[in-house]
Amino acid sequence: MSHFGSPRRSFLRGMLGAGTVAAATGYIARAAQAATLAQAPASDPDAAAYLPAVPFHGPNQAGILPAPQRQAIVVAFDLTTGNRGELTDLLRALTSRARFLTTGGTPPPVGLTGPPSDSGVLGPVVVPDGLTVTVGVGASLFDERYGLASCKPAHLTTMAPFPDDNLDPAQCGGDLSLVLAAGSTDTVLHALRDITRYTEGAAQVRWRIDGFASVPRPSGTPRNLMGFKDGIANPDVSDPAQTDELVWARPGVAGEPGWTRGGSYQVIRLIRMFVEFWDRVSMTEQERMIGRRRDNGAPLDASGEFDVPDYAADPPGAVIPLDAHIRLANPRTRPTADSRILRRGYNYDRGNDAVGDLDMGLIFTCYQQNPLRQFVRVQSRLTGEPLTDYISPFGGGYFFALPGIQDDSDYYGRAMLTDRL
Amino acid sequence: MTRRGLAGRAMGAAVLCLLPGCSGASAGHVPAAATVSGTLITVSANACGSSWRHPSPGLWTFQVHNAGTSAVDVSLTNAGTGGVYGEIEGLGPGTTRPMTVSVGSGTYAFQCDNGSDGELTGPTATIAGHAPGGTAVVPAGVGQTLTAVTSERTYVERGLATTARQAGALLTDIQEDDLTAARSAWLTAHLSWERLGSAYGMFADYDDEIDGTAAGLPGGVSDPSWAGFYRIEYGLWHGQPAAALEGPARRLGQDIGELRTAYPGMIGYPQQALSDLALRTHEILEHAMRFQLSGADDYGSGTTLATAAANIDATRAQLGMLRSLLVTRYPDLPSVYSTLDRLQRLVDAGKAAKGWMPARTLSTAEREDIDSAAAECVQLLAPIAAMFEASPTP
Repeated sequence: MSHFGSPRRSFLRGMLGAGTVAAATGYIARAAQAATLAQAPASDPDAAAYLPAVPFHGPNQAGILPAPQRQAIVVAFDLTTGNRGELTDLLRALTSRARFLTTGGTPPPVGLTGPPSDSGVLGPVVVPDGLTVTVGVGASLFDERYGLASCKPAHLTTMAPFPDDNLDPAQCGGDLSLVLAAGSTDTVLHALRDITRYTEGAAQVRWRIDGFASVPRPSGTPRNLMGFKDGIANPDVSDPAQTDELVWARPGVAGEPGWTRGGSYQVIRLIRMFVEFWDRVSMTEQERMIGRRRDNGAPLDASGEFDVPDYAADPPGAVIPLDAHIRLANPRTRPTADSRILRRGYNYDRGNDAVGDLDMGLIFTCYQQNPLRQFVRVQSRLTGEPLTDYISPFGGGYFFALPGIQDDSDYYGRAMLTDRL
Repeated sequence: MTRRGLAGRAMGAAVLCLLPGCSGASAGHVPAAATVSGTLITVSANACGSSWRHPSPGLWTFQVHNAGTSAVDVSLTNAGTGGVYGEIEGLGPGTTRPMTVSVGSGTYAFQCDNGSDGELTGPTATIAGHAPGGTAVVPAGVGQTLTAVTSERTYVERGLATTARQAGALLTDIQEDDLTAARSAWLTAHLSWERLGSAYGMFADYDDEIDGTAAGLPGGVSDPSWAGFYRIEYGLWHGQPAAALEGPARRLGQDIGELRTAYPGMIGYPQQALSDLALRTHEILEHAMRFQLSGADDYGSGTTLATAAANIDATRAQLGMLRSLLVTRYPDLPSVYSTLDRLQRLVDAGKAAKGWMPARTLSTAEREDIDSAAAECVQLLAPIAAMFEASPTP
């Protein structure tokens, strides 16, 4: 490595292709070049089969507020970069790749200088297909390695187990989280393959899980794999008052650093569902555990999916039991209103486990202003709920989804890395 | 194996037909065209489904509307036998919910119970002829309910006394620093506990105190708050000295003692206790499949197959308490016993001359045979819970 005279580690050269550009900054240039070559495949007759591009630049990352897309990959990385300079390079590279992949275009030709720059999974012209890339940072990023301890988001911690959890450390935490979401499976797989290729040597996958959002059956909110509509009672993301109150970080309050503006705390919980067992439970019991009708998602005391349950009219829980999931999670009271979260979860299916049982469940994902005030309070209220017998949280972590990328010169974490407290 | 599998599938179909909305002939695959949808049934404090005007055989979806001011349980019953074809529990005031029922020849009446005004029975509707329909489940009578519930209480109290005595022997062995004897005493006491049939919180917080695993504890197996049989197992099979185990063993005895005092107060009203009992007939083995047959709850002794065997004993005991109720209601009861016998034979084969085989040492074929038999058991046991499901309020 030293014969290149570069302080950077091998990952900064590895992606350059054999013997092309022997300078670490070259690969960043190349990533940027890919982005400038980007062009919407408007003349493609099949373009209609793909979703349009989601604008990459903005005050917030584009993948946080929208409803879940059909396909997702959730992956956590541990960083193997040695210092802050390398971390900056990594985040710049990640930004360039995300900008290109979400915009689409023709990958730059390399001629005879090396293997092709793109896997080709999406064909010769990369289609955006609605891809969003959401990058988060874990508490471990703020240890001694990068000198970032003083600018850690105020409420970012390592996920501690809740009483009903059965966490596998190998599937928990990570320095960096990445949520890729798009209209089809090949799009998110292509994005993951591209991003890992361009960050090799700097980041190693710690855990990964693939998810999907079901189409509405037959309408309304998509169902989870327990057969219930899931995510009905979310904050209204079209209302800035609600998102400012519940989703976006609040710099300057309670020690929240200024650089967090536009970011949001991301909680990911990998939750296995014991679906064989669940399928052996009577409909009445299923509905009373959830608090909603299975057929149309209505609260048990109402008729329509989006009707608001009236707990005040049912103090003993005759209609919606006091320990029903929806009643504990969101009691609809004034004191609990600020604990609401924006749920953006995906179903997962990982085949079967070692003893032949179906391994499926939920990649519970939520965004919020303060996880201690929101997710942790909600989850604490759910301790011991009847539903716990049918599910088992085994992985995930707490992350801070970085502020949005403002323009072509911006990159993930720029404000964090240049923060002068 | 293949023939057994096919038999299991056929049994499953028969089981399904105990549920509302399933006609005997088509086992749930009723063509949509047969559905008579949207028949409005209104219930209130003084009316119970008087609007079913033109009954005919087929699959009916009633839209049951509560025009009253309090929650009500609504069921469609056989006016002759009192058997229930379909039920909505806790229909809130002002709300409408569907009830889908396969209706054949017979005499029907809606029944409403809002918990305060007593039971109200609507007018009867008669369908002549011999059209097949769904199967009704006759609610348990008071006498049979009390018999079942009382026999369970006796069973649990005796089992707790046995467990308490054996936990005392375990403490003595530990105090005498005879850890070889303690390991044997631990297994004896733990299996007595497992024979009680506690699964998924039968004893509320006592389950965690007495038989909780280290999952969910911040310090894992080193967490100082971890207590109970598994805590002691971990110590006995991980080289911990007697001095480190005396405290946990003493606490185990105290917790069992407290549970013996608290248990009578934890039993619900008779219908609820019967419902819980029926629920456990499959939950005990559901629990055993997930945590014992898989080996997940092996903290060193390698005796999860022994635990599963004790759980099978518990399931048999619960079925025995319900037997007089089940023989008239559950045509697949003989299959329940034959599959339990099969499972028991397979699990007992894991008891070698030197002790029990750890579940993880089973061959693939052995493990598959056991898991498959256990899955068939719970599949056959699950309907029992639905048959005796209690209304949430007495």
